[in-house]
Amino acid sequence: MRALVIAAVIAVAASGIVSAQGPGSVPRTAEGKPDLTGVWQGGSTQRGTWEEANRGVGVGGSGVDPSAPTVLSSNDRPEGREAAPYQPWAAKKVVEAYNRRGIDDPTGLCLPAGIPRIVMLGLFPQQFVQTRDQIVMLYEYMNVFRVIPFNAKRPDDIIPSYMGNSVAQWEGDTLVIDVIGFNDKTWLAGTGTFHTDALHITERYTRVDRDQINYEVTIEDPNVLTRPWTLRSTLMLREGTRLQEMVCAENNIDPDRYEKLLNEGVKFTRD
Amino acid sequence: MPWRAIRVSLLIPVLMGSSAPLSAHHSFGAEYDVSKPITLTGVVTKVEWTNPHTHFYLDVADAAGKVTNWKFEGYNLAVLYRIGWKKDTTFKPGDRITVSGWQARDGGAWGHSRQITLPDGKKMFFGPPAGTGDGGAAPAVEVP
Repeated sequence: MRALVIAAVIAVAASGIVSAQGPGSVPRTAEGKPDLTGVWQGGSTQRGTWEEANRGVGVGGSGVDPSAPTVLSSNDRPEGREAAPYQPWAAKKVVEAYNRRGIDDPTGLCLPAGIPRIVMLGLFPQQFVQTRDQIVMLYEYMNVFRVIPFNAKRPDDIIPSYMGNSVAQWEGDTLVIDVIGFNDKTWLAGTGTFHTDALHITERYTRVDRDQINYEVTIEDPNVLTRPWTLRSTLMLREGTRLQEMVCAENNIDPDRYEKLLNEGVKFTRD
Repeated sequence: MPWRAIRVSLLIPVLMGSSAPLSAHHSFGAEYDVSKPITLTGVVTKVEWTNPHTHFYLDVADAAGKVTNWKFEGYNLAVLYRIGWKKDTTFKPGDRITVSGWQARDGGAWGHSRQITLPDGKKMFFGPPAGTGDGGAAPAVEVP
């Protein structure tokens, strides 16, 4: 009997149900689904307000506490995670782009960061607004957005875009977003990680407690990858944070600087 | 040693020596030279509160009294706002400040700002650590 109880506890734990017993329970909609509405910070595991959670000396940190952890960057895949499974020719192209990162990075030209890069970065907040029929995702970085209907049929005439065409559905308490219809102008997760317009992304958002969403993304592009590439990260609730305007094109002098330095023979590659 | 001095001494190696794989709008390494750390004191002549990066200009006098107007890059507006900066209040033209950062690769009077010491002695970050935007310790792939 005791073994049965232990087995039951393990089974429940494995199902993820107990993960809702964090510092706060998961808010739910009138329909009983998890409500992801809120302002979130990617690339962090710290609870608290933005100010409390960003006290370190990393990018975006206030430096109040030098020992505080840093957040994930927009240029890096999550630390210690699976490397991108590029086909050999494509891997060479990734490194070429890495060595021209000051020129080739789409965000250096103020273009949208794309998915999942924009979800996993920590420097800028993102806001989800969930209603019965759709979820709207707003990103401070480059001020881009996604309007994602639940259980909707895709249009027949998708225009290739930076942020793709998303449709969402619930699998239990996990919001699964299927994204296609990308152009080939963004990077995935890590400097130089290009893709083609065959890109297919599956995102899984699971709010495990009041403060945390577990994010898992599977990236498929048979034109450049040898197999699906899966990354995991977290989004942390940042109550009180408001998204700001970011008009990147206002004063983007960097591309001209890059070109000037290149013409002067400055070496951009890592030594 | 006063608490404040202890805190500053702890911060300096972290903020100046960091090569953490962090990111901002563009590659640090493409424009700035981590081997050229600089600390300059001067008078603010102009502040550009703009995206994707802020800039400020600083009149810096050398030992002979010759003044050079330096330009420094910093975070974008939203990030500065969230770490406590206020336009035209935290610092403004006419203020005498000290900036620590790194010089541009072309060796000109242009730099990446990291920490600013304000007229009242308060220290605040104005830009990210060195190494930002460089993709981390290695490219995202290993070439077979």
